Amino acid sequence: MYKLINEVLDADKKVISPAMIKRTTDSSFIPKSKDNPDYQEYLKWVEAGNKPTAAD
Amino acid sequence: MPLSKIQTSEMLDTPNHGRRNLIINGAMRFAQRATTAAVDATGYKTVDRFLMNIHSDFNSKSTMTKNLDSLTPPDYFNDYVGLKIDTATTASGDVYFNFRQQIEAKNISHLKFGTSSAKTLTVSFWVRSTLTGNFSFTLRNGPSDRSFVTTYNISAANTWEKKTITIAGDTTGNWTIDNGVGLTVNFGHGSSQGTYSTSTLNQWQSGSKTGATGSVKMVETVNSKWYITGLQVEVGDTDTDFEHLSYGEEQTLCQRYFWRQFINGANVIYDRVYWNGAGQNSIHDFPAPAGMRINAATVTCSPTTNGTSVTFTYHQHGTISIYRATANGDNYIYAQDLSINAEL
Repeated sequence: MYKLINEVLDADKKVISPAMIKRTTDSSFIPKSKDNPDYQEYLKWVEAGNKPTAAD
Repeated sequence: MPLSKIQTSEMLDTPNHGRRNLIINGAMRFAQRATTAAVDATGYKTVDRFLMNIHSDFNSKSTMTKNLDSLTPPDYFNDYVGLKIDTATTASGDVYFNFRQQIEAKNISHLKFGTSSAKTLTVSFWVRSTLTGNFSFTLRNGPSDRSFVTTYNISAANTWEKKTITIAGDTTGNWTIDNGVGLTVNFGHGSSQGTYSTSTLNQWQSGSKTGATGSVKMVETVNSKWYITGLQVEVGDTDTDFEHLSYGEEQTLCQRYFWRQFINGANVIYDRVYWNGAGQNSIHDFPAPAGMRINAATVTCSPTTNGTSVTFTYHQHGTISIYRATANGDNYIYAQDLSINAEL
């Protein structure tokens, strides 16, 4: 249901793509932010004992 | 012309000045996600800004539909939203089945709730149901520890009735003014018993309460229906005519929280590059609404294609960045249904 996506840095160590969560059921890209209700829902899902798919 | 003809005492009443309605999409005009949907779990289903907040006992037991049954709306309205119970479920224990709008705290800071200067609010709406009796209504603060519960009575089945409720502002409690939930405007249909119910009505109290003890539980009646439109929450002790905004204004207000581009069968994003060699990266920005509620909004894109190393990131200045770690050869991305979710 969820897959982890790693942060991507450029040669100067600047973030060009932040770490995030992909909800695979609807191809949603969820930032890791406490402001984001989808991320809060993901955290509850993990707390319930579920595990996301590892990043590539 | 005498000055009295230009500036009457009525015109000086606060309710007649400026933007009045704290509710967004109160006339139920916009439904970007869908016009009908099963209420399979808590979430935004159809009309913009209105959340179905339900206990898991009620998952997939009801349907939410804009203009359910194609009824004639109340005068001066074109739209409404309806709930229909498809499978009756006994409401026992600490359950809830709520239709609500969560007003952003930044939009209620002027109410001065939590202080001795708290302003009075008047709530008005048109409602109709196949059931009659006392239905639950609640105002609740963002942290969910202050509630005002009351009831409104539907006296005749299958008839539009206008209801008005005046509520003195809460002079205590924690009322935030950030971009989180500030004030929840809640219609309860299943929490008339248990933790979320109360028999203490018409006054502010501690705790999260969404139901009046003994009020109507439509979740227990199969094929029962409840319809609403013209929801307005305004400062003062008087209900004024519903504030009809222009279409564009209302749409913009909705899109601070949710934005969707969908043209059946057409690409709303298409991007293609050919790389002679793997390990290249690309970032392209596409336009998106500026100033959505949070920068960290969820972007949903369907379908996407070509590889797994693709991410979509929303930026509040008004773009979606598409990052892609390219593979050797032809790389393309397309989407026919793109949305950004910044809802509360």
